[in-house]
Amino acid sequence: MSLARPARCLFCTFSRATSAGPRVPSRQFHLSSIQLSDRKPKVPEINAPEGKTLEEVYRDLKLDDFKPYTEEEKAALKEEYTPEQIAAIEAGEAAIDPKDLHEQFRLRRDPMRLRYLDDLSSIEPGVDKHVRAPKTNSDYNATFKSDDDLMEDIVEYFVNAPEEPEPADLVRFLETNRVTHGKEENELNGHSAIAPNLLNEGETLEHMGSDIKERPRYRTPAGELTYLNPNEPTEQEKKLFQVTGYSRDYIKSLYVKDLVVRRVSNQTRLGKIPSMSVLAVAGNQRGLMGIGIGKSDEIIDACQQARARAIKNMRPVPRYEARTIFGDVKGKVGAVELELMHRPPGFGLRCQHLIFEMCRAAGIQDLAARVNRSRNPMNTVKAAYEALMSQRDPEEIARARGKKMVDVRGVYYAGVKIVPPLPKPGVAQGKP
Amino acid sequence: MSLVNLSHVCSHLNNASKARLALTSINNTKLHLKLCLALQNDGLISSVVRGSRAPPPLHPILGTPSAVDESEGVEPVTQSNVASRRLWLGLKYWQSEPVLGKLTMVSKPTKRVNIDLAGLRRVIRGERSNSVEGLRSPGEALYISTDKGIMEARECVEKKVGGLVLCRVR
Repeated sequence: MSLARPARCLFCTFSRATSAGPRVPSRQFHLSSIQLSDRKPKVPEINAPEGKTLEEVYRDLKLDDFKPYTEEEKAALKEEYTPEQIAAIEAGEAAIDPKDLHEQFRLRRDPMRLRYLDDLSSIEPGVDKHVRAPKTNSDYNATFKSDDDLMEDIVEYFVNAPEEPEPADLVRFLETNRVTHGKEENELNGHSAIAPNLLNEGETLEHMGSDIKERPRYRTPAGELTYLNPNEPTEQEKKLFQVTGYSRDYIKSLYVKDLVVRRVSNQTRLGKIPSMSVLAVAGNQRGLMGIGIGKSDEIIDACQQARARAIKNMRPVPRYEARTIFGDVKGKVGAVELELMHRPPGFGLRCQHLIFEMCRAAGIQDLAARVNRSRNPMNTVKAAYEALMSQRDPEEIARARGKKMVDVRGVYYAGVKIVPPLPKPGVAQGKP
Repeated sequence: MSLVNLSHVCSHLNNASKARLALTSINNTKLHLKLCLALQNDGLISSVVRGSRAPPPLHPILGTPSAVDESEGVEPVTQSNVASRRLWLGLKYWQSEPVLGKLTMVSKPTKRVNIDLAGLRRVIRGERSNSVEGLRSPGEALYISTDKGIMEARECVEKKVGGLVLCRVR
């Protein structure tokens, strides 16, 4: 018998506590008091929400519930809504008879009912389906083939025709040969009077009607009219402006050159897949220089990639007196080991063409270079870049050693730092 | 004058600066001490202290051992403890790069290289003199053992002395 059991009145044997369920005559293994069965459960029942459920609302619905707004309610509404919205609410109230509302209000039970509260006034990206522009077969840039193009088609047909051509083949060719340049669906199943196009040229879902301006056309150097604006930057260029923050004029003025162009191939189980790899250098000829590598199936695409990356990678190259480098530097990439050596004014760039172009892009005019061991072009460029970037700033060295530093050349010329004139704009615009 | 030990010192200092150590010790010899003092004079190392095998106490403000430490005091060198003395060098770093770049020996234990004043003049102008390369990079220094002590090449030219070329700092 546990001492924790509360003392009970002897005269209270008829109370509920005594007659309640069987008392367990077993040992108690814990110190807390016995839970008597007549006690209330500790956790109260979860209270029903204060408001009514939709079912209850529906069940208790009376005709009197649909009353017009009182003046007080209208005043409260005015605080919440604009006058236009209030007018709309009142118009809605006037349009629907309360009797109809009482008789026709039903809770939806069909499987298509909404399981959340929504007035369906806006399109929600996570829940609702996207609204897309209608698909069209039209191609507004389609043009008819010229006589020459049609002649070429015929010539190609006869070149590829079998040894003994059948008349049926020729008929089939004449029936199926296309007469326009552009989208095939436009020719086969374009819009017509029976199935007119949903949107006219230049129209979008937002802008329809007669205020659509005709798209401007531009004449190419060959004399043809196109919709492509030659002065408008391409998508790639736009991206470059965005990434670098340089203007179009500035990028045009940069010195860009493709240094290494290689055909590379990837050996797969399907065979060799060739592509082009280009290494380009870019610089402003005033101390900024960068290199970039581009790879693509097409040589033009690879060049564009490489040039854009070179421009993006442009970093400041330290230059002594804006003409040569600070001290002799060494670079090593792979088996290419090279040295770049500073030289006096007027010495020129006495080095191999790859390093010459890099120095020209960076605006270095006096330099000698020696490339030892391997002379792999790509690694030479990388090693030269590494060497140019590994120059140590004399000011930093002096500060690290706690010494005062004086440029003796500057002292010789009455303390004036010599900066050569900037390169002419014609030179800067030199493009490969 | 053991160039073998000096070569070991050069290698050890290169390794210590690559490992970014703040304090390291080398053998206590007169040659090492003079070279280290020349290095300290040029701001390449922060401190040179002669101590025992245990590192000397750090200066409370400088954070490196100090040769003239008022609070702790430096143990004087006696005949009984001279064999256990070592030179403790404080290494310097600037923007996570060692200030003492790379030490290379010019004279080798098997081939000592001497240079005269005319040769030194060419070397400090960046030209080559016999087997000694010119000083062509900013911050490059050449240490020469002369009659007037161990000095940097430019100081030797000022004092018009030549001598044994010990090592080069890049």
